Amino acid sequence: MTPFLEMRGVHKRYGGVVAADGADFSAERGEVHALLGPNGSGKSTLLKVLTGVVAPDAARVAIDGRPLSVRGPRDALRAGVAAVYQELSLVDELSVLDNLVLGVEPARRLGFLDRGRARAAARPALDRFAEAFGGRPPAEAPVRDLAPGERQLVEICKALVREPSILVLDEATASLRSGQVEVLLSVVRELADRGVLVVFTSHRLAEVQRISQRATIMRGGRTVATVPIPQTDEGELVRLMVGELAAPKREDRRGGPAERQVRLKVSNLAADRVHDVSFSVRAGEVLGVGGLQGQGQSELLATLFGVLRRRNGTVRVDGADVHASSPAQAVAAGFAYVPGNRATEGLLLRRPLVENLALPSLGRRSRLRLPLSRARELASAREAAVRVNARYGSLDEPAGSLSGGNQQKAVVGKWLPGRPRIVLMDDPLKGIDVGAKAELFDLVRGLAADGAAVVLSSSDDRELTEVCDRVLVMFEGRVTGELSGPELTEDALLASALQVHGNGP
Amino acid sequence: MTERLDTGRRAGGAESAPDTAGRGGPGGGRGGPGRGLGRLTGHPVLLAGALAVALWAVAALISPGFASYPQVLNLLTVSAFLGVIAIGQTIVILSGGEGIDLSVGAVATLAAIVASRVMEGSNANLVQGILFALVAAACVGLVNGVGITFFRVPPLVMTLGMIGVVQGAIRLYTGGQPKGSVAPALRELVAGNTVLGIPGVLWLWLGLILGVLWLLRRTTFGWRVYAMGAGRRTAYLSGVRVRRMVLGVYTLSSVFAGVGGLLLLGYTQSVFLRLADGYMLPSIAAVVVGGTALVGGVGGYLGTAVGAVLLTVLGSFLDILQIGESGSDAPRQIIYGAVLLAVLSVYGRGRRLRS
Amino acid sequence: MTRPSALSAGPLRPLLGARMPTVATAVLLVATVAASAVLQDGFFTPYGLTSNFAAVLPVAIVTVGQVIVVLGGGIDLSIGTIVTLSSVVTVQLVAGQPDRLPLALGAGLLVGVGCGLVNGLAVAVVRLQPIVATFASSFVFAGLALLILPTPGGEVPSLVTLGYRQVIARAIPVPAVLLLLLWLAWRAVLAHRFGRHVYAVGGNEGAAYASAVPVTAVRLLSYVAGGTFAALAGFALLANSGSGDPFLGNSLTLTSIAALVIGGTRLSGGAGGAGGAIVGAVVLVLIQSLVFFARVPTTARELVTGAIIIVAIALAGLLTARGRGAGP
Repeated sequence: MTPFLEMRGVHKRYGGVVAADGADFSAERGEVHALLGPNGSGKSTLLKVLTGVVAPDAARVAIDGRPLSVRGPRDALRAGVAAVYQELSLVDELSVLDNLVLGVEPARRLGFLDRGRARAAARPALDRFAEAFGGRPPAEAPVRDLAPGERQLVEICKALVREPSILVLDEATASLRSGQVEVLLSVVRELADRGVLVVFTSHRLAEVQRISQRATIMRGGRTVATVPIPQTDEGELVRLMVGELAAPKREDRRGGPAERQVRLKVSNLAADRVHDVSFSVRAGEVLGVGGLQGQGQSELLATLFGVLRRRNGTVRVDGADVHASSPAQAVAAGFAYVPGNRATEGLLLRRPLVENLALPSLGRRSRLRLPLSRARELASAREAAVRVNARYGSLDEPAGSLSGGNQQKAVVGKWLPGRPRIVLMDDPLKGIDVGAKAELFDLVRGLAADGAAVVLSSSDDRELTEVCDRVLVMFEGRVTGELSGPELTEDALLASALQVHGNGP
Repeated sequence: MTERLDTGRRAGGAESAPDTAGRGGPGGGRGGPGRGLGRLTGHPVLLAGALAVALWAVAALISPGFASYPQVLNLLTVSAFLGVIAIGQTIVILSGGEGIDLSVGAVATLAAIVASRVMEGSNANLVQGILFALVAAACVGLVNGVGITFFRVPPLVMTLGMIGVVQGAIRLYTGGQPKGSVAPALRELVAGNTVLGIPGVLWLWLGLILGVLWLLRRTTFGWRVYAMGAGRRTAYLSGVRVRRMVLGVYTLSSVFAGVGGLLLLGYTQSVFLRLADGYMLPSIAAVVVGGTALVGGVGGYLGTAVGAVLLTVLGSFLDILQIGESGSDAPRQIIYGAVLLAVLSVYGRGRRLRS
Repeated sequence: MTRPSALSAGPLRPLLGARMPTVATAVLLVATVAASAVLQDGFFTPYGLTSNFAAVLPVAIVTVGQVIVVLGGGIDLSIGTIVTLSSVVTVQLVAGQPDRLPLALGAGLLVGVGCGLVNGLAVAVVRLQPIVATFASSFVFAGLALLILPTPGGEVPSLVTLGYRQVIARAIPVPAVLLLLLWLAWRAVLAHRFGRHVYAVGGNEGAAYASAVPVTAVRLLSYVAGGTFAALAGFALLANSGSGDPFLGNSLTLTSIAALVIGGTRLSGGAGGAGGAIVGAVVLVLIQSLVFFARVPTTARELVTGAIIIVAIALAGLLTARGRGAGP
């Protein structure tokens, strides 16, 4: 019997990089099928070939045994494929309703819009998610006014309005609160019961195991295996995803930083979405900042780095008052900043690696601060790249040619020549695959071991427990809890974040 | 995160600045490795140079005088004015943030008019004249920079609006009738005075080419310009003082435009109200033809210099064909615009939405 | 990205994201009208209103054309030269004879559509950057205009020029009625699928594409619309001036951009609208005539006008540091 959806021999190269190398995928009507794999394994490429956004170099796609030639999203949509993409595909200035029917607007003669029919088409999807919106979904509000989670829900509703027979959910739960996730998962189940094929990707294996019947695992652009979920445990999935590499082990926490000097002391810091935050970090210590997403963690780090204006409070570095009102001043004061979004905040993807690695400490290696010695810049960059163990072809290659994990290592590495005293990291491991993550963990610990104070914000509780000495829990811009030593566990972190949630601030 | 795999070899550049998230469409480069012409488009400097030589050869076949040594020197001299005015344009465009300086032509005119009035045909006032002219030019650039950084006016609009302001200032300064004349020394530098049979202005341009290449490739300033162009937010978060740099870049652009205006003054020897206004389009064209992407962060001045020569050869070629000799500039203007469109469509293309 | 970055609040908000809030636009309108009422004798008489509306209309039309292009994520630096080209074609064809009007207007409109098509093809199909592509094409259009009408001249039938300055029912000038029609045309664009698609393409091109919006066609059409409005603006200029000029509309490119920025349209696309842009056009035209009525010396007039335009745009930028304009 031919499967409902069948993709065979999907090949796709971007320049010199092979994204999909003969990947296969097949799934049945009415099933929730997970697609798993580390970043860069070709998942996204495979899905985008299906939805018509990416033109494959070679591929055979058939739905219900009928071969399908997809020349663009319009063709895919016509064949019943709708997708919720990893990067949101909403138009900020249009209303929720306009976004829901974008591209499939009901129209009267001559193409004039029919608002009544648009509303009727959008209604069922919005009603189904009303609970997740916390009441009435704001159909007429512009999308830019919505919270991240709500935008994600609108995105999902948008796919539902298209009444797909194949629904692709690409990391659709990433920015949802747990209540919202529940609603989504129950909708997914309903859809599957009605015969819709749901292709589901998520970094959260727990969700995958709850919702899917089968999983297809990809690695290096190829399909590794398709396994039935109830018979496969998490360890086995991870083993299939990372191949020979072992999953990261929980590191033994070293004692010791307690007697070292206080490197960073923050008192009563206040800024936009940061209220009265005080803490201190010692040299050699990794301080985590956790809690639910979007509780002011990023704003706290951005304020310390001089990006956001500080309204109140003091910041002392090694006992000296620092008032950075720009990143340039913060860098001069010994701060380094590793952002999560390496493409727009961490690296210059189009510029050579050497320029990226030199940028924050530019001028420090020359006497007059203007002329540069290429040899000296190369030597310094090479040293930094070696220290972060980044794998690259040549320092003159654009940073964009590195793999995701190595790019993130370069984002850390570019700060090394400046010998930062405080390293601020804002969710730096987001979207990094398991193998590279382990190396970055070591890197963070290494920075601390060399005497830097590290402040690490993360949306992943496991990361925090694995790499931090101590974790602050934030809620609505305030520090509401602190965990360290044996009480620093994933469960305790979640409890701390949620307890506050239950009792109010 | 998406897999960003496509950023390696894009000469033409994408639709928008890299930090306006998501506008260029998801993923995707310009397809597979090029072949033939496609491979040459990966090296715009070579391509522009080859085109210039080819055009020159064709012109020499039609009109043998074209290949004569003095004629070649004259071509290069005329290229130098455009080449110098386009220095600042190159730096501004490299620095990204939708950077562009439409006011270079008007600023060059301003510098020439100020210099000629201060010099009054006397070498004694040479230094003074140059100084006043360049300070006036720098002021315009500074205002451009202030408007762009502190008032958030898009560079295109700011510098386009500045043309009107500068032309207005020239009208007010001259009362509609430019006065004075060039100092003989400046005239000598451009038109006469040769070292090894080569006009002084070409030596000057050569020096400027080397200097600008050094500035962009081997100084902290240059690396920061590229950094800003390739990712303004990344540069800012890496400690680059972006506002200060923008001020500097636009001021520098106007100063180089002013230098170009001074050289032009030495060549024409007399000034008029629209002396260098026509250099606006060619300065951008030279940058683009030379392979500098308008999104910033990719390219360099060598390409612009070659581009300036190419455009000048093209202009002379049109002269040979006796197009636009009837006193009207119209046919040349049309051909010039069309050629720019054609060159752009060879390697100024953005990426496809669907990769 | 799963959440908006905290860093987006820093000084690096994309420069092109600047928009003037509605309130500021309204304040500027009130201020310029008040100043005009004081400085211009008989500003509120039918004659005064007619001549002001007559001057505003071409600027407003070309601005609406520019707004459509800009909303779609492009820009048309050739729009002023399209105005010129279609007006010189029209004035040469009509040759002062009223019975040749349909032919001449039709040809002028066709020229506008054609120029828009050229720009649209270059930007949407060949995928050139809008700034350079339309900049380059502006030289082609301006050159063609010079070929067709080398020196100012040509005659517009008096039927047109007189009709343009008619006052209906002693109070309503014809150009004001045309301005109202212009606004209604914009409402029609908004009520049409094309309107939504323009906002979507300009606001988030990738999202529009993934949502099966025909992005290429929308961009192409936005330039065609821009060219069409430019041709209409050319007609209005001819009706206002009575004769042709090979540089007639060239300066309207900058004016249209300034007017739409003052009117709250975001230059990077996807936000704003023609309502504010029309107000921006009114403000700019009034400022230009204010410079005249305030007895600024002739030699300084150009400088003052230029400076005021720059300051207005700069203020718009400063004001958008806070607040946002309206969506569609």
